[in-house]
Amino acid sequence: MTRAAPSPEMWQPLATNPSALAEGPPPQATRGFWAGVRSRLFRHRPAMAGLVFIIFLVLAAVFGPMASPYSYFEQNLELSNLPPAYRAYTVDADTQVFVNRSNLSLYRVDDQGGLSALLRPDGRDMISRQSTWQIGGKDVVLDYAQRPPVLTIDGEVAQSGGLSLNTRNPFGTDQLGRDVLVRQMYGARISLLVAAAAVLTNFVIGVIYGGISGLLGGRVDAVMMRFVEIVATIPLTLYVILMMVVLQSGLLSVVLAIGTVYWVDMARVVRGQILTLKGQDYVAAARTMGASTSRILFKHLLPNAFGPILVTLTMLIPSAIFIESFMSFIGLGVTPPQASWGTLTSEAVETLRAYPYQLLFPAVAISLTMLAFNFLGDGLRDALDPRLSS
Amino acid sequence: MNSASRMPLAWLGQRVLMMLVTLLAVITLTFALMHAVPGGPFVSEKMLAPEIEAALNAKFGLDQPVWRQYLSYLWGVLQFDLGPSFKYPGVSVNSMIAEGLAVTAQTGLLAIICVVALGVPTGIVAALNRGRWPDTLAMFVASLGIAVPSYVIATVSLYVFALRLGWTPAFGLDDWRGYILPVFALSGFWMSFVARLTRSSLLETMELDYIMTARAKGLPARTVMLRHGLRNSMIPVVTVLGPVVANLLTGSFVIEQIFALPGIGRHFVLSITNRDYTAIMGITIFYAAFLMLMILIVDLLYLWLDPRISYGDRK
Repeated sequence: MTRAAPSPEMWQPLATNPSALAEGPPPQATRGFWAGVRSRLFRHRPAMAGLVFIIFLVLAAVFGPMASPYSYFEQNLELSNLPPAYRAYTVDADTQVFVNRSNLSLYRVDDQGGLSALLRPDGRDMISRQSTWQIGGKDVVLDYAQRPPVLTIDGEVAQSGGLSLNTRNPFGTDQLGRDVLVRQMYGARISLLVAAAAVLTNFVIGVIYGGISGLLGGRVDAVMMRFVEIVATIPLTLYVILMMVVLQSGLLSVVLAIGTVYWVDMARVVRGQILTLKGQDYVAAARTMGASTSRILFKHLLPNAFGPILVTLTMLIPSAIFIESFMSFIGLGVTPPQASWGTLTSEAVETLRAYPYQLLFPAVAISLTMLAFNFLGDGLRDALDPRLSS
Repeated sequence: MNSASRMPLAWLGQRVLMMLVTLLAVITLTFALMHAVPGGPFVSEKMLAPEIEAALNAKFGLDQPVWRQYLSYLWGVLQFDLGPSFKYPGVSVNSMIAEGLAVTAQTGLLAIICVVALGVPTGIVAALNRGRWPDTLAMFVASLGIAVPSYVIATVSLYVFALRLGWTPAFGLDDWRGYILPVFALSGFWMSFVARLTRSSLLETMELDYIMTARAKGLPARTVMLRHGLRNSMIPVVTVLGPVVANLLTGSFVIEQIFALPGIGRHFVLSITNRDYTAIMGITIFYAAFLMLMILIVDLLYLWLDPRISYGDRK
């Protein structure tokens, strides 16, 4: 094997760069645990998509209702059940109307393309099932003896134009004429509030309960875990429902009910972590140096159990959001006129035959949110424990 | 080692004792909660004459001190008597449960069958085709199934299949097609969950040494996975079957409401909106007892499935 002979200039000393030496080793040489987690998480596409969606949701929930010209409780019965997109009929050059075939009403399309005014019929013939309007000198007749109802303008069957968006209410209005978009964003507020409450109880009660139980061990642990076992035998949903019966429905009650029992899983996870960690040498070292039990728990053990705590947290958030919407759906959650995704869904179910699209927005919102949190949780788990990633 | 020596009666006795303690806690808790509700059970918009209210209270024993009520209630539960309904005269909570149980058990059982019969094979197919399109597709659908809440699945499928396409009835269980949507909505989450669990558990099992031995014998990969890997990878799946039963029960609250099925879940939600306290208490206790029984059965199943597990000589 022949090797290129080193050329003489290779033996020359390198020009020393004092500033490079002063900077110490390059920062990339040793990457911390969390830096690795972060970079693995950032490469996890679904998790990033989930994170982006959650950030978007938080922004919409916080600023959306402020920016909206409507409030979540403002009713306008004249403009109820309007669609997000519609096909307009041209009556004359400057009048376009939209026909709601389910409640047989006519709405004027304003200059911006919004449905902003109900047109009261000038004549109603209940026998032959016709409503008539006089618009710009033309006879507009809605014949609802036929199915579906037919609109005629001056005797001719009207042809609808293309699909245009309702700019007044981008998501349409509900059966009381409230703006669905702002109610949707308000629902996001409630969901995130519940999520925040779940996070808080998990951190405050779950982590500390599990930590104490795991660290103290022995009889204390046995009693504490027996209690958790008893609580965990019954589905938490059942507890929350029972709590709601006692507390009466309302947002505060939902938050309280979820907060009372939703820390059980976290307590179990933390206890398991503490049990495996407390035998480590650094705990013994801290103890020898006279660290108090609470110092060992908070400074040495819990920070090291942070990964699993974080993963459990992201898994618990969607289930808390689900519980709230579930409760609201069966009528035990937030009270009207407050809007949660659950109540929005159940309201949409009431009008499912006539206005099926009303189901779309709350259903998509809750599903995407759950998906986003699940993806983020999966990504975090993979990032924290690279062995698990598939 | 036969199974009897792995499961001494002491263990079973301890479990049953623990179950009874838990049940007592549940009874006490629900009793306390229901008595903490402001206002008596007969308070409504229609004001009752004081004499009538007193007579009602006397009839249901509500004029007694609370501890006496508690003890007599407990005595009733011991005799499997959950008392009368406060809202429907002449109807006992027992008969309410008996009436609803048939419906709930039918849909629940079908849902469990779906979870096992569809979830597990989907997971196996995904694991066999790891990284290829069947895997990607199955896991995508499973992610959706986990994220989309059951009531959304129920309402959307109700709209699409019952109202729009007319393939299934929108409510009731008069013919077999009526079962499709409720069972689908009820089992959607757990089907997806079990599919994912089966896949990851199977893939994890395939890393173990005994699998390598089987492979070294020259068995085809498929045989190794299905004959050797599957049985062990089923253990986590069996573990979740307990929670599955629990969640099918709570899931039935909303599913039975949406599809208007006269099951226990619907009775429960109705009794909550009616403020029928004895029914709420009774059904809760029934749920608790039923669940604990299911968890016990799952634990026994566990034992049968994995000879390494022993409950007897637990330290």
